Amino acid sequence: MAHLLLDSSIRLWVVLPIVFITFFVGVLRHYVTQLIHNEKKVDLQQVSDSQVLLRSRILRENGKYLPKQSFAMRKHYFNNPETGFFKKVKRKVIPKNPMTDTSMLTDMMKGNLTNVLPMILIGGWINWAFSGFVTTKVPFPLTLRFKPMLQRGIELISLDASWVSSASWYFLNVFGLRSMYTLILGQDNAADQSRIMQDQMTGAAMAMPPDPNKAFKSEWEALEIVEHKWALENVEEELMCQDLNFRGLFS
Amino acid sequence: MSSISELYDVCWEEMRDKLRKWREENYRNSEQIVDVGEELINEHASKLGDDVWIIYEQVMIAALDCSRDDLAWSCLQELKRQFPDSHRVKRLAGMRLEALERYEDANKLYDSILQDDPTNTVTRKRKISILQAQGKSSEAIRELNEYLEQFVGDQEAWHELSELYINEHDYAKAAFCLEELMMTNPHNHLYCEQYAEVKYTQGGLENLELARKYFAQALKLNNRNMRALFGLYMSASHIAASPKVSAKVKKDNVKYAAWATSQISRAYQVRGTQECTLGVFPVRLEDSCHTLLMEPPLL
Repeated sequence: MAHLLLDSSIRLWVVLPIVFITFFVGVLRHYVTQLIHNEKKVDLQQVSDSQVLLRSRILRENGKYLPKQSFAMRKHYFNNPETGFFKKVKRKVIPKNPMTDTSMLTDMMKGNLTNVLPMILIGGWINWAFSGFVTTKVPFPLTLRFKPMLQRGIELISLDASWVSSASWYFLNVFGLRSMYTLILGQDNAADQSRIMQDQMTGAAMAMPPDPNKAFKSEWEALEIVEHKWALENVEEELMCQDLNFRGLFS
Repeated sequence: MSSISELYDVCWEEMRDKLRKWREENYRNSEQIVDVGEELINEHASKLGDDVWIIYEQVMIAALDCSRDDLAWSCLQELKRQFPDSHRVKRLAGMRLEALERYEDANKLYDSILQDDPTNTVTRKRKISILQAQGKSSEAIRELNEYLEQFVGDQEAWHELSELYINEHDYAKAAFCLEELMMTNPHNHLYCEQYAEVKYTQGGLENLELARKYFAQALKLNNRNMRALFGLYMSASHIAASPKVSAKVKKDNVKYAAWATSQISRAYQVRGTQECTLGVFPVRLEDSCHTLLMEPPLL
């Protein structure tokens, strides 16, 4: 393995400036996103539905603390074949087409503007300004496949793939400074690019699953199979097997 | 008039922290809040930074409680100046109108907030409390029912509805509301105990049995709940005294009542009061039990 001694001015004028540039651009992105962000209008129907689903789930989990009659009454309210809530209520689902739905379009555009554009611009600028020399060495060995990707601008065949150029140092910073952003800007900050990319991959992130009907159906099934096993069946016996603990009663 | 900081020898940071504690734990000691908060605002407003706004809100609500309209008005002015279009500030203005008994104006204000933002639950609840303040309890009950149809998860609203029903003596519906609360908070002994009391008040053999069970559950969750212990004793002895029960049920309930008695006298022993001896107390409990049964319910 070739041991290369790099000029220390690389450290001073390349490595540190790239870190600072990435960090401050990230902070700037966070504030710009906050400025052009508009409040998501919450739909009354959605809030109501999510609460109903929560109530049904709690009924399943904690129904055993209620008397049998009350549990049966509530289960009947939800699951009755003719008048039950989950059977009767069908919500109209409008599939949100990203191309025609204006609010989603503007959100997407804003997201692109604040995240992708700066990354491309700065990545390109760094590639142009800091090219032609090795910047740093990653501490683990890499295969030769990574050479063209990480050593842009350096045309040495015999050079180890661990020695990387400034562009790859920039990308390393973009992802690595995420925890710094959390420390300084608090959780859920807009400078966190990897999370945004994750969001774009998993689809629209809404308060409710986009299809309430499916949620209702699965909740109905779950509630059907739940049986009522009263937790208070032998509560007196359990209580009276030992004396009550009055510690701290009259403090 | 000496200020709080001189009286109690506290600095402004401690006053601010006290206010925060009261805010987070939902205390309603309005006079104290007004005293501490007023001084904090008048003397140390600049040092508080951004905290000052939430302190303004807290002091304003406390001032409304103590009928200090001057203080409430000045707080409201400051908040309006800083947050001109805020729904939260509008709601506070509505609360001030309620305190002045100008219910129509308050209602109009709340309606305008709700037009803008239909999901604003706090404002809807304020409208219901206007109805309660005007004494229109049946309308308040109706509105609260509609509200709960849309927001089934609001526990504060369920509790309020149960109280309204108890005032109307509609114990069956109050029991339903308390069941909702018990379901969402299964480890809260106070809800179990309140539910048991409602069941006891409804009367009838099954309700008494349920009451006994839930008193026992409340005791299991918190051994020191004396009210539940007394409730357990009373429901057990009531069932035992009823002529319709089988011998086995009677025997069981007598056993439960005896156990409850022994625990009560143990509690008094722990307390160490002089006026009660072991032998006399259970007998006295029997007498007081009969008189208690004649009196209005435990609620």
